[in-house]
Amino acid sequence: MPQLTVPRRSFLVGSAALAFAPLAARAAADIGSPAPTFVGTDSNGKSWDLAQLRGKIVVLETTNHDCPYVGKQYRSGNMQALQRDAAAKGVVWLTVAASAPGEQGYVTAAEANEIVRQNKAAPAAVLLDPQSRIAHAYGATVTPHMFIISTAGILVYKGGIDSIASTNVDDVPRARQYVRLALDEVLAGKPVSDASTRPYGCSLKYAPS
Amino acid sequence: MSTMSRVLALLLSLLLALPAFAQSVVKTDNVRAELISDVAQAQPGQSFWVALRQTIRPHWHTYWKNPGDAGQATDISWTLPEGVTAGPIVWPTPSRIDVSGIINYGFEGDILLLTKITLPANFAGSTLALAADANWLVCDDVCIPEEGKFSLTLPVGTAATAANAATLALFDQARRKVPTESPWPARFGVAASGDPTLIVEAKGLKPETIRDVYFFPAEWGAVANMAKQTAKVTADGIRIPLKKGDAKAAAPQQIAGVLALTEKTADGEHRQAFDVVAKLDPSFVPQAAASAGTVEGETLSLWQALAFALLGGLILNLMPCVFPVLAMKAAAFVDLVGHSRGEIRRDGVAYTAGVLVSFAAMATVVVALRSSLGDVSWGFQFQSPIFSLLIAYLFFIVGLNLSGLFEIGGRFAGLGQELAGRHGMTGAFFTGVLAVVVATPCTAPFMAAALGFALSQPAPQTVAVLLAMGLGLALPYLALAMTPALQRLLPKPGSWMVRLRQLLAFPMYASAVWMVWVLTQQTGADGVLYALGGMILIAFAIWLLRIGAPASPTRWARRALAALAVLLAFAAALKVEERPATAATTAGGPSSAVSFDGWTPFSRARVDEAVAAGKPVFVDFTAAWCITCLVNERVALETSATRRAFDQTGTVKLKGDWTNRDPEITAMLKQMGRAGVPLYLYWAPGASRPKILPQILTEASVVSDLTSR
Repeated sequence: MPQLTVPRRSFLVGSAALAFAPLAARAAADIGSPAPTFVGTDSNGKSWDLAQLRGKIVVLETTNHDCPYVGKQYRSGNMQALQRDAAAKGVVWLTVAASAPGEQGYVTAAEANEIVRQNKAAPAAVLLDPQSRIAHAYGATVTPHMFIISTAGILVYKGGIDSIASTNVDDVPRARQYVRLALDEVLAGKPVSDASTRPYGCSLKYAPS
Repeated sequence: MSTMSRVLALLLSLLLALPAFAQSVVKTDNVRAELISDVAQAQPGQSFWVALRQTIRPHWHTYWKNPGDAGQATDISWTLPEGVTAGPIVWPTPSRIDVSGIINYGFEGDILLLTKITLPANFAGSTLALAADANWLVCDDVCIPEEGKFSLTLPVGTAATAANAATLALFDQARRKVPTESPWPARFGVAASGDPTLIVEAKGLKPETIRDVYFFPAEWGAVANMAKQTAKVTADGIRIPLKKGDAKAAAPQQIAGVLALTEKTADGEHRQAFDVVAKLDPSFVPQAAASAGTVEGETLSLWQALAFALLGGLILNLMPCVFPVLAMKAAAFVDLVGHSRGEIRRDGVAYTAGVLVSFAAMATVVVALRSSLGDVSWGFQFQSPIFSLLIAYLFFIVGLNLSGLFEIGGRFAGLGQELAGRHGMTGAFFTGVLAVVVATPCTAPFMAAALGFALSQPAPQTVAVLLAMGLGLALPYLALAMTPALQRLLPKPGSWMVRLRQLLAFPMYASAVWMVWVLTQQTGADGVLYALGGMILIAFAIWLLRIGAPASPTRWARRALAALAVLLAFAAALKVEERPATAATTAGGPSSAVSFDGWTPFSRARVDEAVAAGKPVFVDFTAAWCITCLVNERVALETSATRRAFDQTGTVKLKGDWTNRDPEITAMLKQMGRAGVPLYLYWAPGASRPKILPQILTEASVVSDLTSR
């Protein structure tokens, strides 16, 4: 799989990859297969290499702070609670801001940090992915689109945050919490029962191709 | 006083009528939404339609029931008076909306989401208050969830009255956009990769007239929305290779969705859509790229196809359909035990010859049919109920023979059994023929690739592949007959032979039962009556011929009676054919012909006669392959309202079937300036010239044409 470097180092490689396969690359993430690797830079300038996180469970959350489906999870406090629980259990939670510049949800580093502060969110980091490379590699279509990677680097969950596709905060306690259930199973060393669920949310704001 | 009361009555009626017009409108930033009804007054015990009409801001869209890769379907929750029910949303056909590579299914512009409301018969109130809470997501680049609360109050009376014409026209158009039930069966196979391929058995379509075929899966999971679809339309039907979806579960048993396509008719292009439910066909395993079954199926070379066919023929010997014939063959072989080697060898050769000749005959029929009909499906002979009945009789008679009810003495004439059961080479030959006839329905599922290849090849290759299959079928027996070493493995003759023969009768009876079942599929329950009755007659005839001494004086009477019984049994076959099929015929039949139910075949003379008599005349020019014609018939011509209008106006209904280029119809089309179907002509009572109706009919437009004077 291509080693993706975000955002500066591989400008050339990146644009070539974008030119070649805007869509083909999206079908890459399969349950039970090695998760596509990436190197990303977070809102504090720190570099995150998925390969070096081997041995830890990693959660990816695509985000677009203006998307009402993302808003539902943060307004209800569900997303922050998941992030805190994950951190407490040694899970690395990476929020991926994947909107292209000029699109809804695009953030600078400072804006990303401000959103985290306002939401009282607790991810390990917010990766800035303005060229949507990580999103491409995982085939993300919506925000929030959730992925869980096992300690062995295998993709063990992909799909929605929960089971009720709506923007209504009241639906959060009623929904089946797919990500929470999957994380509990992964932490307990069990196979994930619902490993692939219907992702729902706003369409991910890829750069127009 | 009277003026006063009239004014009061007027005021009262205005007051009552007012709620009907107080349609509830909600305007958001991006959508103007309105709850409308197709009745101005509702009636207890009746249903009517309401619609949430969304007028969406340009370039924005709302979503279908499966929103695709993102988005969310519009949701309506109803608050209704006690006993009143609301159906699910009846969705119009969606469009594909590509948002930088993410495929959504939804709607742009002006749409109606239809919902059926039903009042209980005992509804007591004088008004009906409908309240709806609707939520929708509207997107262009960004998505905005919006909602609206709607209320609509309608008067309730003893008779329903229709809404105004403009509203009715909206509903009419909206119904036209709802997919109709698919007229064709559909199935899907799953490739080794897990990707499903959908086959819609729309036989006899004209591929050059159809484009933009797309399958909208009804729900998330089984099919990936994002993958491009490259549908292929052939005379065999529509084939759409799909990408498997993200659902983790094993392959589903069925895939539902909407098949949309654009048909180019002589006078324009029409978007049509059908509700499709495809069942999993485990025997259909699509090839990764082009499959052997399609026209460009070059994945199999001729040699490969021959090898497959030979192997397939061998495997046919294990198939349940051939088993009864093998039982016969085994019985015959048992009889041969102890005969000379030459005799056994000749028997084997005769059997092989019977198989090969039948396969050659079949190949000839296939080639001939293909050149005349353009399409033929394997196992076609089993679509005839007469054939099913005769085979059932044959199985029964052979079973009786094996049971020992009668011995073959060459006395009984006219029965197929006589040929197949006769000792010696003729008997062996016809056993081979029988094996092939019975084996063919088995071949289709197991031999799909080789048969697909055979049927799509030029005549010599078709014949070669079929002969190879025949050779495979005959090979085990031929090998046994030709190899004395193998024959030595057979046990010595003895009384076990009789017992084995009797035992082998049972698979024959079982096969007869199966054929009777096939017959009921073709003819309905009456088929059982004729088949079993016929069997009793045949058994009776055999019994008659066996009793009494050959030279007894009643011999001729018994013979005559037996002949009569046999005749009656076969007369049942004619009776069976007369009965229209009440159940579906077996799968894979020839394209369903145009239905004339309630219609008279078109002829120029009939038109002239009816027009001269001053009668209203409606002519429907159609063809089995014309999708637009089919849809028009379903949504506009064969609805209860239109039928009623036809009946009430005494309209003469004529139908011209142009499936096979009828010259009289061609002339009529030409005269009307048309190059093809659909064409609808209507002569009002007393009119000498017809009105040409539009190519896209709606129920309302037809009814209004028929009833306007």
